[in-house]
Order: sequence, then C-alpha cells, then structure tokens
Amino acid sequence: MRIDQEKCKGCRLCADYCPVGAIQYFQDEKNPKKKKARIDEEECVECGVCFRAEVCKPQAIYRQEIGWPQSVRLAFSDPMVEHKQTGVPGRGTEEMKTNEVTGRFRRGSYGMAVELGRPGVAARLKDLEKIAIALAKIGVEFEPKNPVTFLFEDVKTGKLKPEVRKEKVLSAIIEFVVKPDQLRPVFQSLKDISGKIESVFSLDLISFPEEAEKNPALKVVKEMGFPVYPNGKVNLGLGKVLNK
Amino acid sequence: MTHTLHRTGDLESIREDFPMLTHVARGFNDKDAGPRLKQIAQTMTKYTDLHFGDCKVGNKYTMDSGEIMEKLTVGCQVVFKDKESLIACMKELKKKDQGISIVVSGLFDEVFDCCHQAGLKPPLIEFALGVHGNTKKLWPPEILDFVTMCGHGLVSGRLVKKMVQDIKKKKITVEKAAIELAKPCLCGIFNPYRAAKLLRKMVEK
Repeated sequence: MRIDQEKCKGCRLCADYCPVGAIQYFQDEKNPKKKKARIDEEECVECGVCFRAEVCKPQAIYRQEIGWPQSVRLAFSDPMVEHKQTGVPGRGTEEMKTNEVTGRFRRGSYGMAVELGRPGVAARLKDLEKIAIALAKIGVEFEPKNPVTFLFEDVKTGKLKPEVRKEKVLSAIIEFVVKPDQLRPVFQSLKDISGKIESVFSLDLISFPEEAEKNPALKVVKEMGFPVYPNGKVNLGLGKVLNK
Repeated sequence: MTHTLHRTGDLESIREDFPMLTHVARGFNDKDAGPRLKQIAQTMTKYTDLHFGDCKVGNKYTMDSGEIMEKLTVGCQVVFKDKESLIACMKELKKKDQGISIVVSGLFDEVFDCCHQAGLKPPLIEFALGVHGNTKKLWPPEILDFVTMCGHGLVSGRLVKKMVQDIKKKKITVEKAAIELAKPCLCGIFNPYRAAKLLRKMVEK
C-alpha cells in the first residue's frame, strides 16, 4: 500500500488501523511544520485494512502495482485476494471444515497446522522455512492444496523459493498430516524451533470427538507440555455431496 | 483457514462467544451453491445480528447484508453470544438441510451441549495448542482478546488502544467503538457484544 504525499493531510487517522504498525509520520518536505503519513513498504504486508477503513478523507491511500515476489504478501495477508493456484481466499484450505464431505482426515493419522504470524504479529517467510525444514526432516506429509506448498522450491525438504524468504505476511499456515510414530518427533521439533524464530506461531490439532479424551496425539501433547485450550472448532456434520 | 480457532480470554468472556461458519466443499457441493448459502445466511442472521460477512465479499458494517447474501459463493460467517440462539439456529439449519458444512467454535463443553440439544452429532473437532515462538512480540492479554476475535489478524491492537482512549475522552461510545473494531474483520466473526464488555473493563481500569 502507498500514500499519495500530495493528497495526505497528515490527519493521523489511518495509522491505528494498520495491524503491523507500518504507517509512520515524517516531516513534510514542502512544509517542515507539518507531518505526513508514509507506509514503510518493507514492513507493510499488503492486507489492505488501511484502504478499506475509509478513514482517509482525501483518499490518499492506494494499492500500487505489485509484482513477484512481493505479490506473496498480498495473497497471504488480504483475505479478499484468492490464491491463484488454489482458488481459496484466506490462508489455508477447507481443512476440517468440510471433512464430513471430503473425508480428507481419516482415523490413524493426525491433521495438524502451524499458523505462522498468528495472532497479530505477522512474520517473514524465512521463519516459515525454518519450521518447514524441521518438519520435512521427520517426513510429515504437507497438504498439497495449501498455498504455502506452492512456495516450496522442494516440497521434500521444506526449502522455499529463495526470493520469497524475506517477504513479510500477516500469516501463513503449514498444514500437514502426521503418522502416530511421528507425533513425538514433531512436537519435540516444534518445541526446539520455538526459540529460533523471530515471530510466533499458533498450533492446531484435528481429532475425532469420540476419541478426543483417549486420543494418543492429545496424550503426547499434554506429556510434552503443550497447552490445550478449552475452546476450539466443532464440525456439525451437515455437509453432503451435492455436485452431479 | 483456522481463523475461528484461537480466541483468547477468560472463560466467562469466551462463554459468550460462538463464531459459526459455513463453507462449501470444492468438487463436492460448490456447484451453484449461491442460493443454498443465501438460505443458510438467512437462517443464521435470523438468530444473531452481532456480525455477518464473508472474506470474499465484505461484512455487514461495511456493506448491506442483503447485498452480501446475493454475492456468496464459498461460505459466510456470523457470531453468537448465547447458547439459546445458537441451539435454535442449529435446529433450523438441521431441519432445512442445505447440505453445506457448518462449523461452530467456542468452549467445547458448551458447543457439544448445544449440538446434543439440537440433535447433532459432530464428526470432527479441532484443538488449539497454544502460541509459541517469540511470544514477547505478542500484544498483552487484554489486547489479544480483541485481536484474536479476527483470526486473519485484520483488527489492529493499536486501534483497540485508540478506541479505549477515545472512550475515555468521550469521543466515542463503547458500543460504537466495538463496531469500529468489528469493521476490519471481513469474515464477520468479530464479536462486538463481547468487545463492548471488554472495552468497558479496560476503560474502568
């Protein structure tokens, strides 16, 4: 995002809407007594919140043309933008939301997700690469339809295309399936990597309700000191196959 | 797309917070799903008026709800503050049987109880296993409770602070500030009822 310096009145209304604090105020070159807003393009994640907030009366905020690899920021930060490869808006996939129809997650393995940059911190993709490489070494299966998977140079190693590593996004989700014997190494690896990244990540585990209490994955989670929130997501099971 | 999963807050506050979403399954029930999604959206909004939207279209605080309903192709979201409305909505959704997946987030015990009362048997659940990494960068808990109500991270912690300041200076009411915070959340899962309660707490501090 950019701010047209000719139009900006320096009213300071837009800055608080930016989730990553990328809008700053600088002395106006033409009038040193005044300050004007400018977006730090290194820090901006292209989420579009400042623009959509409609607080800029002179309409100085605009989206510039964005080429590769900066376009990654847009796709992983503005939910109104669909990922070209997957057609999915947002960051991830349908994951457990439609499982009663798709049968994507089955008993005997575990769906997990690492949500980099959440909540409210944002992240450089080099952090994502560190986590993906660690998980790839254990041999987890990355979700092929997740937009992150399209950023890998080599899906087997978790290495990203070099040009996207420095890009900053509001969040990016690594979705993967874990086999029972991979559970401990995965959680240990996530524990180890936790102190080596600049940003944060939220962690998810998909489960079948009838086995929730006895769930071996949850047992490992608790033994290894990971918290389990009392709130989460519940699929109501109302979906059906309707396409003919 | 786990944007309704990681809401933080004390139990009393989370107890009044149930985001609900509907989403098509691509290749299975997405063909000509618009009218079905519209029907679902009409049912959802009959039982809650707190928020409504879809990240591909917009939300009720930035555009007309009727216009949003006409444009739905993938899914939509609302948020409930009480179990009674949620149960009533679940019952009607079950009865209308549109065949599109519905997911509800909230305290597991509460959501399971609602499902039981509505005659629903959930096939799958998802757990949140905390936040890790450089957690020093996180907003303080009282701000995080607002920020996590938009899982996409579109509600700025700075805006929360600004709203608290403006309420204290009597520039804006608590209710209007809660709506202002709900606007950036395109999906319609930010709970302005809960936000108003949290804002009051912060102002009284």
